[in-house]
Amino acid sequence: MNVLSRQKSVYRKLLIVVLSTTAFALLLAGIALAILDLRSYRQGWIAELTTQADVLSLATAPALEFEDPSSAQAYLDLLKAQPAIIGAALYTANGALFATYTDGDHADLAFPRIPELDGFRTARNQLDLFKRIDSGNEILGTVYIKARYDIGARLRDHASVLAAVLLLSFGITLLIARPLQRNVTRPITEITKVARDVIEKRDFSARAPRTTEDEIGVLVDAFNGMLAEISTRTEVLEKSNRDLAHEIGERSRAEDALMASEDRLLALNAELESRVAARTSELEAANKDLEGFSYSVSHDLRAPLRAILGFSALFAEEHQTELGDEGRRKLGIIRRESERMGRLIDDLLAFSRLGRKALQPVSLDMTALVQSVIERLKRDDGACRTEFRIGSLPQSRGDQNLFEQVWLNLIANAVKFSSKRETPVVEIGGIVHEQEHIYYVRDNGAGFESRYSARLFGVFQRLHRQEDFPGTGVGLALVHKIVTRHGGRVWADGKPDAGATFHFALPKEEADG
Amino acid sequence: MDEFDQVDILLVEDNALDAELTMRGLQNEKVANNITWVKDGDEALDYVFRRGVYEGRKGSGPRLILLDLKMPRVSGIEVTRVIKADERTRRIPIVIMTSSKEESDIAETYALGANSYIVKPLDFEALAAVARQAGFYWLVINHAAP
Repeated sequence: MNVLSRQKSVYRKLLIVVLSTTAFALLLAGIALAILDLRSYRQGWIAELTTQADVLSLATAPALEFEDPSSAQAYLDLLKAQPAIIGAALYTANGALFATYTDGDHADLAFPRIPELDGFRTARNQLDLFKRIDSGNEILGTVYIKARYDIGARLRDHASVLAAVLLLSFGITLLIARPLQRNVTRPITEITKVARDVIEKRDFSARAPRTTEDEIGVLVDAFNGMLAEISTRTEVLEKSNRDLAHEIGERSRAEDALMASEDRLLALNAELESRVAARTSELEAANKDLEGFSYSVSHDLRAPLRAILGFSALFAEEHQTELGDEGRRKLGIIRRESERMGRLIDDLLAFSRLGRKALQPVSLDMTALVQSVIERLKRDDGACRTEFRIGSLPQSRGDQNLFEQVWLNLIANAVKFSSKRETPVVEIGGIVHEQEHIYYVRDNGAGFESRYSARLFGVFQRLHRQEDFPGTGVGLALVHKIVTRHGGRVWADGKPDAGATFHFALPKEEADG
Repeated sequence: MDEFDQVDILLVEDNALDAELTMRGLQNEKVANNITWVKDGDEALDYVFRRGVYEGRKGSGPRLILLDLKMPRVSGIEVTRVIKADERTRRIPIVIMTSSKEESDIAETYALGANSYIVKPLDFEALAAVARQAGFYWLVINHAAP
């Protein structure tokens, strides 16, 4: 287990560090001292024993020489004064035991049978030492000493001293550590407490007290600065959160409103569409009604007209003699006006029929159409003095019969309104534009006031008196209707007494040049 | 067959004035000796098929029917349909004489088997001429089916 595990307080960690450092240092010092002490003890003990052996060999040399064991024994017994010596022995030169000594505790001590060479050995807390006895050049015997050699006891002594010193130093360390803790760990504890408060209460206004000027003081400052920063940021964040929440609310409200208005729009659109459809079908129905009405009206109007014409003719024929010139003139008026009414009805009928007729568009050779129309006009009116000038006319697509009608109406109009000129001129031409083909018919005739130009194309709209220029007022309306049905447009320019120009334009199609 | 009993032309016309003018036009040139006038389609069919008031009428024919289209009760189109659908009468030439220039009318009557379609002119002389020409063509020039 880790002694500096995360859970322990800084104080305890510091304490452990200090204590273990102290213990380690003391232990190392103790061991070193013990080793030194044991070494000097061993060396000292061996030197002492060697001296003892030398003294013994000097003292016992004569006894060995004269083979006097008792005096040797007496010298050996003197060893009693040295309690550390367990036993001793003297060997003769040929290696036989000569005299022995044992202390009281080791009476049964077994001596080696033969002596060994000079030297010592240690074993089982005992030290054996052999020393040669000689008299200059002759070996007399050997001294043997067996002594206590208690390293273990000495080590135990050292250990107990070391333990005592350790305990003492621990006590002192603890005493010294207290103020240390005050200086080092308390500010940290304070920061910890504040941090915990901040976390638990989310109170960023708390500040840790600064008590020192060292790194911990800097840490406290940094911590407080961080708190201030967090506090500001939190405030900003909370504000932006509130703003965001507000904005989200606004948006969802706006979205709801948008969806609602979209729904309304859709509903409105649907309503509008259905209204348009209803109005369109109403209009179509009204148009049909109108066309049917005008058709049947003009149809039914013809019958009485026919009767008027027919019976006035019969009357003129059957009562020829009774009628004077005046009577014939009046009958003539009846006849002419009835015929005019007939033309009106015919034109109205044609106009009404046009709305219901399906178009049959083909490629139109406008030049050929115009020429055939002019020929027809010349044929019908042999006295026609009009000079026709035909420019180039682009081709278009359209219903052949209807455009023949258009050209006929426009050119006949031009001829009619220029007929009172000395040299009537009718100019017909075409212009190719990007989007459309424009055709025009220009005359040098009576013209018209330009502010009435829009009225020209209405049904039965006339700008001239019947006596001056007879007409039904349907021709241009017919032109307008035909051109419009082909997707084109019509317009007119004119000045009183300075001629008129009638234009019609048809959309250009891909097939056209 | 008695020549005088033969009906040459059956005129079907609801408008009495038109009928009078048409008959005047036809009689002036003596195209037909016998012209019978009926006032509507119903009467025309009765006449042709000899039923109703015309049951057991004398004479054969008609050799030509001049038929107006717009009439009360049974229209000219209906008359054309019935006469041209009947094996006994379908060979009688029918000339439509009407003031209608309506294209659908023209197409429909021709499809039903009408032989001519004439728009009545307003002018009496023209009307008389047209009626005469039609009668002349169908009764004199044209060789009728046996």
